[in-house]
Amino acid sequence: MDIADFLLAAAVFVLATVALGLTRILRGPSDVDRMMAAQLLGTGGVAALLLLGVATDMNAITDLALVLALLAAFASVALVADARRPEPEPVPDDAHPEGKTRT
Amino acid sequence: MSAALIVDLGLTLLILGLGVWTVAARSNNGAVVGYIAYGLLVALVWVRLAAVDVALTEAAIGSGLTGLLLLGVATRLPRSARLTRPPTGLGTRLLAGFLSAAVAGGLAAVVLLLPDPAPTLAPSVAANLPATGLGNPVTGVLIAFRAIDTLLESVVLVFAIIGVWSLAPKDGWGERPGWLRPAPLGSALTLLAQLLPPIGILVGIHLFWTGATAPGGAFQGGAVLAAMWVLAMIAGLARPPAVSRRWLRLMLVAGPALFLTVGIAGIWLAGAFLAYPVAYAKPLILVIEAALTLSIAAALGLLLAGPPEHPSAAERQP
Repeated sequence: MDIADFLLAAAVFVLATVALGLTRILRGPSDVDRMMAAQLLGTGGVAALLLLGVATDMNAITDLALVLALLAAFASVALVADARRPEPEPVPDDAHPEGKTRT
Repeated sequence: MSAALIVDLGLTLLILGLGVWTVAARSNNGAVVGYIAYGLLVALVWVRLAAVDVALTEAAIGSGLTGLLLLGVATRLPRSARLTRPPTGLGTRLLAGFLSAAVAGGLAAVVLLLPDPAPTLAPSVAANLPATGLGNPVTGVLIAFRAIDTLLESVVLVFAIIGVWSLAPKDGWGERPGWLRPAPLGSALTLLAQLLPPIGILVGIHLFWTGATAPGGAFQGGAVLAAMWVLAMIAGLARPPAVSRRWLRLMLVAGPALFLTVGIAGIWLAGAFLAYPVAYAKPLILVIEAALTLSIAAALGLLLAGPPEHPSAAERQP
């Protein structure tokens, strides 16, 4: 077994652990559980990408791993920011009275 | 190659399973999280297909920024649109499912029926690439050989901003975009928004610069820059600028305007619209890409920031 095969096997292992984490996306029960599973997928994806990049000798994959690492945290930031919002329906509050006076 | 085959098979099964679940998901937030994870896996598939440029775009825009946008939309929907009960009858849903399956089946048939070898312009791109001074054939196609497509795409982003801004309420025009409610300072978000942008800005500029010779480019770099800007706005470290600001509007149109100017100048200097004089092709392309990166970053950031709102609307819903 040469080194490239070993790295690919390692990537398979990382993806398999991430796939186990994906069951949390499917089962939940809450949105936070799902988001944490998506975060795990982001981290595992970065690891699998770096392994793939070395195994297949494609340097550009490192840049992709960098972008994933930067942006993977974003979705959880958005979820937290939205969860903090006390007023869940700002749009109809503003739009309804005007719409009614016009019709 | 058995390990590679297992990676590919595993990715395919994961994507199919996640795709089915995302379509069938009952809650909007759950479906969006599924979509984000789906985008990550699709990026991995593009890497396996050796299309790193597409993988970069998918990771930055498909999974990163679109996920952010959809999460914001999911929490903004009025409660009536969040019903868990499907609003349409069984017949409509069956018809929609049948049509979707027909489209998917048709696409699969087209791909399978392609002649072998598939018709391709790749050899002529490779033969003519040295004339542009670029090393990345994808960038060469985007900015030189099919420049008209890229020009129109960059204009579409400006139209998208006009569309979002036109949703401004009556008293909101000319004010600051109001969708991003800043977090209180001193939270973990503040720390993240202080640590991440320096690295992110560097990576964004790196992606733009490396696009000439390796996977990367204006869109990917701009998306990363936009993400850093949005992070600073969500954390409350930067306020979204008022949409009436002239510098903001100049920034939005700088990329497409410069692209169009160089394109029109090409009629006299190089004999055709959007043609570059061979001696100056590379520097011209870099200048256009730099302006496009800036405009794309501004446009994507403002898309996420939403339509302008009167300041009192922000006070009503802190």
